[in-house]
Amino acid sequence: MTLDVLLVGFGGLGAQDHQSAMYLPAFAAHPGFRVVGVVATHPGETERARQAATQLSVPYHDDLDHALSTVEAPMASVAASAPVRAEVLDAVLRAGRHVLADKPFAMTLPETLRLAELAVGTVVVAHHHRFHPMITAAASAVRAGRIGLPWNVQADFVVAGGTPCQDGELLNFGCYAVDVVDALIGIPVRGVHAMPAGAGLTLLALDHDHGVTSTIVVGRTGELVNLPPGRLTQHRYRLSGSHGVLSVDAAKPALTVTTQSTQDRRWLPTDTVTLLLDELHAAVTTGRPSVVGIDQAVRTAEVLDAARQSIATGVPVSLADNERKAG
Amino acid sequence: MTSITNMERDSTNAFGVLVIGTGAIAELHIAALRASTRTQLVGLVDTDQARAAAASHANGGVRATTDLAEALTWPEVDGCIVCTPNVSHATIAAAVAAAGKHLLLEKPLATTTADATAVRYAFATAGRTLAIAHTHRVYDYSLAVKAALDSGAVGEPTLIRAALLGGWIWGDWHAWVLDPHRSGGHALHNGVHLLDLVCWWMGATPESVYARGRRQTAAELSIYDYLEMVLRFPGDRVAHCELSRAHRPGSLVQRDILVVGTGGVLTLPWDGEQSLVFDERGVSALLPAGGSAFERQLDGWLDAIAGGPVIAGGEDGLAAVAMAEAAELSMATGQPVSLTPVEVGT
Repeated sequence: MTLDVLLVGFGGLGAQDHQSAMYLPAFAAHPGFRVVGVVATHPGETERARQAATQLSVPYHDDLDHALSTVEAPMASVAASAPVRAEVLDAVLRAGRHVLADKPFAMTLPETLRLAELAVGTVVVAHHHRFHPMITAAASAVRAGRIGLPWNVQADFVVAGGTPCQDGELLNFGCYAVDVVDALIGIPVRGVHAMPAGAGLTLLALDHDHGVTSTIVVGRTGELVNLPPGRLTQHRYRLSGSHGVLSVDAAKPALTVTTQSTQDRRWLPTDTVTLLLDELHAAVTTGRPSVVGIDQAVRTAEVLDAARQSIATGVPVSLADNERKAG
Repeated sequence: MTSITNMERDSTNAFGVLVIGTGAIAELHIAALRASTRTQLVGLVDTDQARAAAASHANGGVRATTDLAEALTWPEVDGCIVCTPNVSHATIAAAVAAAGKHLLLEKPLATTTADATAVRYAFATAGRTLAIAHTHRVYDYSLAVKAALDSGAVGEPTLIRAALLGGWIWGDWHAWVLDPHRSGGHALHNGVHLLDLVCWWMGATPESVYARGRRQTAAELSIYDYLEMVLRFPGDRVAHCELSRAHRPGSLVQRDILVVGTGGVLTLPWDGEQSLVFDERGVSALLPAGGSAFERQLDGWLDAIAGGPVIAGGEDGLAAVAMAEAAELSMATGQPVSLTPVEVGT
């Protein structure tokens, strides 16, 4: 079953444009989807959206409401610029579209909660790193009891080089790392103590149910030699369990080709964005909840919101306390 | 008790060392003494007479006693190595200082900041050298990390992650380490190694400690066999220390270092040094051969006595005790604990 997709927005945090860089090529190559139009949602996106329309030979729109009312696509891939992201998602969700949502889903927890109320169709947030084959295998092994009862996770999610995010790397990358830890152990976070570690890194000490703890280092360093800008220099997870230890080094390439002048490092067999689209397609066509659905956007937003509070106050923040305040 | 046996001092006039406490760690110190051409083991002290006798027998009949005061009067004793349970360190160190001997003291310096301060003062007053066995400073891996950081290759470190993970090694419920009144708790007993190490690598004094502990092997433990300790340094710099005697399988040995600096990244991954053995018992680590840290530590102590810099002295020992004491408090309260400059001895 082929699903028609409207590409909505060609921006993100700062200068990011994951629509052009990630989603568009993945949709174009995926047999389960067909891109039928593009929409610019912010003046800064116009040129990129026009280029995409030309590249794909599909109509270009600069009026979202008009596009939503005239293009009969059941799906929207939303990667709107940060200043307009919430209002764009609001319109797309109210129009009843299934949504692939760029990360972060929204800039704040209250915004996330409000938008979550509007979702009627399938919403998949683009937490694609959990679909890395090593991560999915590890999650399955943990569920199967290979290490007994997990009691601690140590995680490093560190990108080298690329354009620093003006809104902070915690907002930029935090959802990825928190989501992967959740994929691995699936145990809710109850407490967060966060602290900055240099200009681009944050250390998150999380307390989960059952006394499980996790520590996540997330962020960006400067550019490093032999690593293309924006690639992960550290992407690893160590899970300690009552009956064993599971170490995942997801930055380790499966294949390395080194020549006199180049080095090509790649994972096998496919990229995580394509695997994300597989999940999206399955969720939409079967109606089953996605493992990276709107609830996951809320869970990660709760952790990152508490992390920001912890950084501001210098002390641990209880998510239960936050829930009571919200209530 | 009088001496069990006596042995004539070697005619080389080597530095005479009295080893106080003859448990497992003492064997490593004695092996270093045996390998050294600069020292001679001249006596042993242990409060357990049978253990003292056994240690004497194992070391060529060297003189041994249960009476520390008596041993400190032996003229051939130039310095002491103390390997007793942690709670006794301060009292024994005070006696050694009062006797005018130099001291290489197993970590921790003491089990409280107040006691550590008193020991440091006693040696400063006595004009004798106090070295603390923060042995990890002289392992190959830590020296390599220190050299790389000091070279400026990765700029100023802003994040250090240091993990030392292993399985249960502490015997049964009778082990003194499991009694927080005798060991001070895991942060004091072994945590000081990593706390000292990351400060040495960072080249800075931390402002606060946040720690989490877990009683993984048994809920009934009175100490935490798994520790996470986070040090915050001025300028938003952080060190995360992870220390475990709780991991399974018990054969697990992992040492993992990650440093992110303003100009680069240093990694010493858990499989960076060790080889893997695949045999009928499964997969296990084969650690590399290398220089003896205990021999280096002994040489460092002797060099310091001769006027050189001490590898880890009283100030370092006091700082580590203050951090570990704060870590234990943090684990009890769930909150970060501030370190004042007075506490860390600067």
